Amino acid sequence: MGFVVEDLWKKYGEKTVVDHISFKMDEPGVYALLGTNGAGKTTSIRMILGMLMKDGGKVLWNGAPLSLANCNIGYLPEERGLYPKNTLMDQLLYFASLRGVSRSEAKKRIDYWGQRLEATEYLYPPKGARGKAALPKKADQLSKGNQQKIQLMLSLLSDPELLILDEPLSGLDPVNADIFKSIIHEEIDKGKYLIMSSHQMATIEEFCTDLTILNRSKPVLQGNLAEIKKSYGRINLFVKSEQEIRPIIEESGVKIVSSVGFSYQCKVTGEAQANELLKKLVAQNILLIAFELREPSLHEIFVEKVGEAHEES
Amino acid sequence: MKNHNLRGVGTVFRYTMQQHYKTRSVMVFLIILFALSLTVFPLLSRSSDTGKEVTETAITKLYIQNDLEFPINWEAIHNDSRYAKLDIALSTTVLNKDDLKELLNKEQTSAAAIVHTDASKGGFEITGYYGENGKITTEDMATLNRVLRDVLHEAILSSLNVSPEQEATVNSTAVSQVQLAEEFRSNKEIISTDTHMVVSMFYSYAIMLLSTLAMSYIFQLCIEEKTSKLVESLLVSVKPMALLVGKIAAVTCFLFIGLGLIGVGLFISYQIAKNINPDAAAASLAKVSGFFHVELGSVNLGIGNILLLLVSILIAYSISASFSGIVGSCCSKTEDLQHASVAVVLFLMIGYMTATMAPAFESDGTNAFLSIFPLTSMYVALPNYLCGKISAIVLIIGMAVQLLTAFFLARLAGSVYSMMLLYRGGFPKPKQLFRMLRENRASAKAAAGKEANHEA
Repeated sequence: MGFVVEDLWKKYGEKTVVDHISFKMDEPGVYALLGTNGAGKTTSIRMILGMLMKDGGKVLWNGAPLSLANCNIGYLPEERGLYPKNTLMDQLLYFASLRGVSRSEAKKRIDYWGQRLEATEYLYPPKGARGKAALPKKADQLSKGNQQKIQLMLSLLSDPELLILDEPLSGLDPVNADIFKSIIHEEIDKGKYLIMSSHQMATIEEFCTDLTILNRSKPVLQGNLAEIKKSYGRINLFVKSEQEIRPIIEESGVKIVSSVGFSYQCKVTGEAQANELLKKLVAQNILLIAFELREPSLHEIFVEKVGEAHEES
Repeated sequence: MKNHNLRGVGTVFRYTMQQHYKTRSVMVFLIILFALSLTVFPLLSRSSDTGKEVTETAITKLYIQNDLEFPINWEAIHNDSRYAKLDIALSTTVLNKDDLKELLNKEQTSAAAIVHTDASKGGFEITGYYGENGKITTEDMATLNRVLRDVLHEAILSSLNVSPEQEATVNSTAVSQVQLAEEFRSNKEIISTDTHMVVSMFYSYAIMLLSTLAMSYIFQLCIEEKTSKLVESLLVSVKPMALLVGKIAAVTCFLFIGLGLIGVGLFISYQIAKNINPDAAAASLAKVSGFFHVELGSVNLGIGNILLLLVSILIAYSISASFSGIVGSCCSKTEDLQHASVAVVLFLMIGYMTATMAPAFESDGTNAFLSIFPLTSMYVALPNYLCGKISAIVLIIGMAVQLLTAFFLARLAGSVYSMMLLYRGGFPKPKQLFRMLRENRASAKAAAGKEANHEA
């Protein structure tokens, strides 16, 4: 049961653009599709949604091929837009009608999402307005960020069970990004299935439970994010002092990744090596401001995996 | 075609219509179009020679200057009861313009006429004059001018010693016709090549005009989602086939509403003209058909044939609209529209040119072949049938071919639209397009096979 993508692949001529991707979501949550530019994330999403013909593979929802008939899908594409010359309300009602939402229900939902996204002023002319100000707003009168709010509304109007968000936060200012994040949290809390693609690793890390990292159309890492991080162990060490400690670090066999002043980002083989270094620093009466051993961030895992794949190729 | 492929077609249709009629320029255009069609017949009637005739004249005296070299029996004017008491004053000298103006302004019921030869027009000319602010109206003068013209005509014939019988013989036209002996035996009415040509030309021109208008609308609608980058959001909610069908249906509707509006406008216009002057209205209609040498009476335009005409136009429209759909789907940006227009106009012109030239051959074989050949059938089958050039069976075969062509093109348009919605390359050449279609079909078959295996 749940959502399953099995052995999905596609070729354009001789070029493989998606190379046998498989993943599944047994229960509601957030699944992340990560990858470099052109890795095949959007193509995979388009195939999942049936917009692009797949050369092979299956996409199942509760055991049956995914379709609009058996699953209420919401989608915020990476390439998004609105009819520039049509009013926003007309477009929202049109999309709701296409998804079988009645006009009265659609209006209620538009009101709700308008308030949540702080976009009510664009949907209804202000009371007492005259002349052009009294006319309903059209898409080309809105900024890119505000258009994005309307696009998110379009994808949420049908109250979807499966929500696919392709780069949902790109191009948003911090205030609007926070509004979007709160809505994503709300959808997760409602028990929705979310598939999210993004280049913003911190965002993915905030929401997702499972992920697939794609590089050059192939999956290079896949699984539960917490387990992946655990499997790496605590190998990232941050040391900050008030004096030069580089020779001591190097003497201990710890690899320095980067440094700024007397702050060092290091890579250790494990906790034992970190302890060894700490002992040496204490023994030499070095005043430490910070000594932090932590798991790698998603950003670091991504860079490492993609880098490995590049080296192999 | 599965039903779920068309789910949402009604919503797309309604939305497209709603947005079209919400555009202010469209409404202004429709109002102007309707207003213009209302003015057609009243204007034609006014410009027609046969203006409204007066039953009683206000003219009591007529000054005439005859510059012709032969005498005219002006007393014949009195034969018309309206001018029985008209006082005719023949001027022996040339009427001075200033004197004439002063005279006619002073004598409010007097008029003048100068009869002379106009070499530039190759004939005779009668010019009537009347005073300003007098009791004489334009209609009054037009009526008098017609009477004077008849008198002049009689004088010309008398000067040449031509009898009315001789005149009728000279004015009669000789028409050459070709007919099979069997057609002669069965008293089949012959429709002249001129009429056949004009009917064919008008019909194919109407199809061409409708198709060209539809083309630009369809192109805009095909490219709309791509340029507004809305396509992916839409495709989650509606299948491409439903999107295309809904849009083309809307284009069809607003085109036919536009044409209907023109039709209603012309009908009202004719009624208005008829109310003002029945003779002039009828004359203006006759003038239009006479200008094109059409013997409308010889073309069978009964209710059945008018219905056939509407069905035939709809099928022809479906063919051209589907073709426009295919070509429009290949456009990714507005710059591609130029390539697309050339392709569709070429497609339409091939059939149109053939259709307009075909009647000149006067060959039954050619007419039958062109009536069933897919590229030309939509232009020629119906005119050929209405003018009796092909039998009902050939017409049925022709229309069946048209229906099949429309169906095939509509299916192809659906496939191309679905395939090209996410395409962002340049305008593809036909070879490239068909290769993409083949690859797409192969993928679809492979995927369908695997899904069937999964379900099994």
